[in-house]
Amino acid sequence: MTVLKTSMRNFVAHKGRMALSAVAVLLSVAFVCGTLVFTDTMNTTFDKLFQATASDVQVSAKSASDTGETTSRTGKPPVLPASVVGKVRGAQGVRSAEGTVFSTSVTVVDADKDKLSPSSGGPTIVGSWNGNDARTMEIASGTAPKGPGQVMVDADTADRHQLKRGDEIGLITAVGTHHARVSGIAAFKVTNPGAAIFYLDTRTAQQTLVGRTGVYTNVNVTAAKGVSDEQLKKNVVAVLGHDYKVQTAKEVADANQKQLQSFLDVMKYAMLGFAGIAFLVGIFLIVNTFSMLVAQRTREIGLLRAIGSSRKQVNRSVLVEALLLGVAGSVLGVGAGVGLAIGLMKLMGQMDMKLSTDDLTVAWTTPALGLLLGVVVTVLAAYLPARRAGKVSPMAALRDAGAPADARAGAVRAVLGLLLTAAGGWSLYAAATAEKAKTGSGWLGLGVLLTLIGFVVVGPLLAGALVRVLGAVLLRVFGPVGRMAERNALRNPRRTGATGAALMIGLALVACLSVVGSSMVASATDQLDKTVGTDFIVQEDNGQVITKQAVQAVKDTPGLARVTEYKLLDATLTTPDGRTVPKETINAADPTYAQDVRTKTVAGSLADAYRPDSMSVFEGFAKEHGIKLGSTVAVRFEDGGTAKLTVRAITSDEAVVDKGAMYASIATVAKYVPADRMPLDDLLFATAKEGQEKAAYQALKSALHEFPQYTVRDQTDYKQELKDQIGQLLNMIYGLLALAIIVAVLGVVNTLALSVVERTREIGLMRAIGLSRRQLRRMIRLESVVIAVFGALLGLGLGMGWGATAQKLLALEGLKVLDIPWPTITGVFIGSAFVGLFAALVPAFRAARMNVLRAIATD
Amino acid sequence: MTSAVMIPRHGGTGGRTAVAARARQVVKAYGSGETRVVALDSVDVDVARGRFTAIMGPSGSGKSTLMHCLAGLDTVTSGHIYLDDTEITGLKDKKLTQLRRDRIGFIFQAFNLLPTLNALENITLPMDIAGRKPDRAWLERVVETVGLTGRLKHRPTQLSGGQQQRVAVARALAARPEIIFGDEPTGNLDSRAGAEVLGFLRRSVDELGQTIVMVTHDPVAASYADRVLYLADGRIVDEMYQPTAEQVLDRMKDFDARGRTS
Repeated sequence: MTVLKTSMRNFVAHKGRMALSAVAVLLSVAFVCGTLVFTDTMNTTFDKLFQATASDVQVSAKSASDTGETTSRTGKPPVLPASVVGKVRGAQGVRSAEGTVFSTSVTVVDADKDKLSPSSGGPTIVGSWNGNDARTMEIASGTAPKGPGQVMVDADTADRHQLKRGDEIGLITAVGTHHARVSGIAAFKVTNPGAAIFYLDTRTAQQTLVGRTGVYTNVNVTAAKGVSDEQLKKNVVAVLGHDYKVQTAKEVADANQKQLQSFLDVMKYAMLGFAGIAFLVGIFLIVNTFSMLVAQRTREIGLLRAIGSSRKQVNRSVLVEALLLGVAGSVLGVGAGVGLAIGLMKLMGQMDMKLSTDDLTVAWTTPALGLLLGVVVTVLAAYLPARRAGKVSPMAALRDAGAPADARAGAVRAVLGLLLTAAGGWSLYAAATAEKAKTGSGWLGLGVLLTLIGFVVVGPLLAGALVRVLGAVLLRVFGPVGRMAERNALRNPRRTGATGAALMIGLALVACLSVVGSSMVASATDQLDKTVGTDFIVQEDNGQVITKQAVQAVKDTPGLARVTEYKLLDATLTTPDGRTVPKETINAADPTYAQDVRTKTVAGSLADAYRPDSMSVFEGFAKEHGIKLGSTVAVRFEDGGTAKLTVRAITSDEAVVDKGAMYASIATVAKYVPADRMPLDDLLFATAKEGQEKAAYQALKSALHEFPQYTVRDQTDYKQELKDQIGQLLNMIYGLLALAIIVAVLGVVNTLALSVVERTREIGLMRAIGLSRRQLRRMIRLESVVIAVFGALLGLGLGMGWGATAQKLLALEGLKVLDIPWPTITGVFIGSAFVGLFAALVPAFRAARMNVLRAIATD
Repeated sequence: MTSAVMIPRHGGTGGRTAVAARARQVVKAYGSGETRVVALDSVDVDVARGRFTAIMGPSGSGKSTLMHCLAGLDTVTSGHIYLDDTEITGLKDKKLTQLRRDRIGFIFQAFNLLPTLNALENITLPMDIAGRKPDRAWLERVVETVGLTGRLKHRPTQLSGGQQQRVAVARALAARPEIIFGDEPTGNLDSRAGAEVLGFLRRSVDELGQTIVMVTHDPVAASYADRVLYLADGRIVDEMYQPTAEQVLDRMKDFDARGRTS
């Protein structure tokens, strides 16, 4: 009981000293809970939407996806004949059946040719206004669309783009461009997270989306009273046979949910991973805090031991304090997590993704997990300091405490740390020299882990050495103040090491990823320079196909020497070894592709793969299936017949662009795939006539003005785009790593703040004998900078090592060029010095404000 | 009110320059109204240059407060304090810090040294902070005087309590301050080590002409001084020149008895 009481009193008395540890726990727990609440809320929102929008039973074409999404490579949705509706009506238990037409392969533009698609990346859906949708939406203003000239818009899209009744919009499909005026605006009764929806009347929808009447994409079936969805499905299948896809509402919703889930899971686990890193960094902070509290309390603990407390009791009293800290931090963290989730939802709102706080979902497991994580991590982190507290001898009560003895980093630590680092280094070397990417990545992971732990373990020793070097280089300039800062940083190497190591973790990841990212850009650029023989690339940035009208517009552009079409076809391959490989992709292109992109081959020449009834395979595939030049591969196209194609080229796997592609000519493919099933082009390569590059580029741009969904890029633009994309990805990761770095910076603040408290008397003495406030502040700032720079040096060094190893390993996959982004690395290094200055602001201010006399009199 | 105004008699030299520090009508009070506590009650004092002055008095008499105020470590409620001709009351922290750094030396009862610096670095610290080069010859003489030659590279933790205080004395002397203030500098030492340190202080006055003000409650320590001031209830109530330990002790017993009968 007394133990608990001392713990409570200590906790309350030192709450200031624990504040930053609590913040670290809070941040990590908040991130975990925020992630969970946010993803759960997304789930709820979409679940409600899927539940609300699905009809009891839905019939669609066999080739349609399970989610009912109606895209295909032909640019037109897969359809079923109108007669199906009549048949379904004849089935038992059907109350009503209605044919609808929907497509997501549509670009909608306003009168100024600006896209009306959601910037969130949500789908743009155009379809027929029907009974099922009328159930979930209400017309807020105007009327439902009637006739070819009218279109109805969903309220969110109308809001976003200020669309009013009477505004003209254009619907660009594979069929052509259709113009209509807004007749009405319809609002969802549930939250529509981000789709832009446009309704036409059924006939107009058929003509605009499919190009002919008498076909539907789906038939929505509702059950008569007392008929379950499953029963209804059976009845419908009974009349239709198995030529069509028939799904219950639950099946459609589940399929949608599954697709969403896989996306949300990636996001969830990525974010939880970053929260994990933050927790890891937080552990250093907590260990430091408790070590310092125990050191400061040595006499007190000695007294407790002298009057009869057992080791266990002392040990437990520290752990109870940690428990209180963990609980306080976690409870606040859970609350902050919900706040964070709401903030994220608001942020998503800025990006055209609507999420309603009505759907805010906090599962009971979220706070439970947050609390558990926060408390367990805190108590575990405090375990070592608590053990040390238990070891304090009763004699400590009698000794003059003075300054805490500097903890010498032991020889055991040195040996262990160096062994780990050496083993890690060896693993990294093994990864860099691995013959196969798969074994290499295992070595890489092991190497990263071992070197990280090794660095953390030898951190205190490195702190001693590196701080001395830094002192010699950096601090000498600042004279005695610099020297005192150096000595202070060296005073407790374990503390400096742990504080620096916390910063090291985040910065190592930053350095590693920046090296890999910039090597990716450099390698891709290098390969583009070496292989691309064309001037311009036309593509749709969301991966949609290019309509025939747009292809024609490109081909009609003056100043072009040639245009190469490039499309993807799904196919099942039967190889000479007798195996059948489903779900492969054939990249069909015009023979000029071989000139446009000079693909490296290990056998044959790519140009030969474009001869009639020929193809190419990639190196790995050829090895796996024993394919040689001249082998015959049976290719069964998804929407066509089976072709027996002769392999005339084997492409190298050392590629960044189009790795693992199998090529054939469009002419070859066209023999086996009917024209109306032939996919539209994915890409167009255009090459200007000699000397007309500039004019052709302008001409292409204006030719594509009518089709705002397509972008034309020359090589410079394309490289920039590649760079931007990787840059964006890296920035996102840096943003998430910022959490770990913030916690590490809090750690620096924490160490300094507690050191200032610990050195109160010293500070008083120095002030008494004439150290000015400014000098005192500078001394603390310099100590802070030294710690931060130490962490940065370690982190950047380690991270660049990881990054370079990863590049060597990925060289097997075409990442040939190692590019170290020195501006980023130096930026981070200099930034870390500023972070050190920033971290010292408050501790330095507080130290300078101390009353000299009181400071000297402090025990 | 009848404050015990002292008309300090001049020391050997006489004249204004004979006074290293002066306090005039210094009042130091804490709190206000009912809870007001007066630590110094209109104190006037002159500290003679080149002399060793001891301030004595029972606990709570205000002796430490007086020293802290004279040294510019504490502020006064009213009155004036001068260091030589400089008035230090009313100076801003920056000026006061400079003053302490350049013109004043300190020896505290305990925790005089920075644990991260060795003995020599501790000794030269005030000059380092000021960015001044120590005078080599003087430094050697001081180090020799306090008997620290050969221990200059030691860290404080490697030195005994007496040695640590000697380092503190050396630090105070090394910068050649106008005045050194000691706050029970031998309070934590055994009598032998204490006698050693006091001997050095005495020698520094006699041989180096240093001015020293020391707060103590130990009659033996006070007997090393040229002059002893007695404080009680925030006032200077008596003084004594060329004291011996016996005289000081008798005088204190006397005050004690008076304090009890009044």
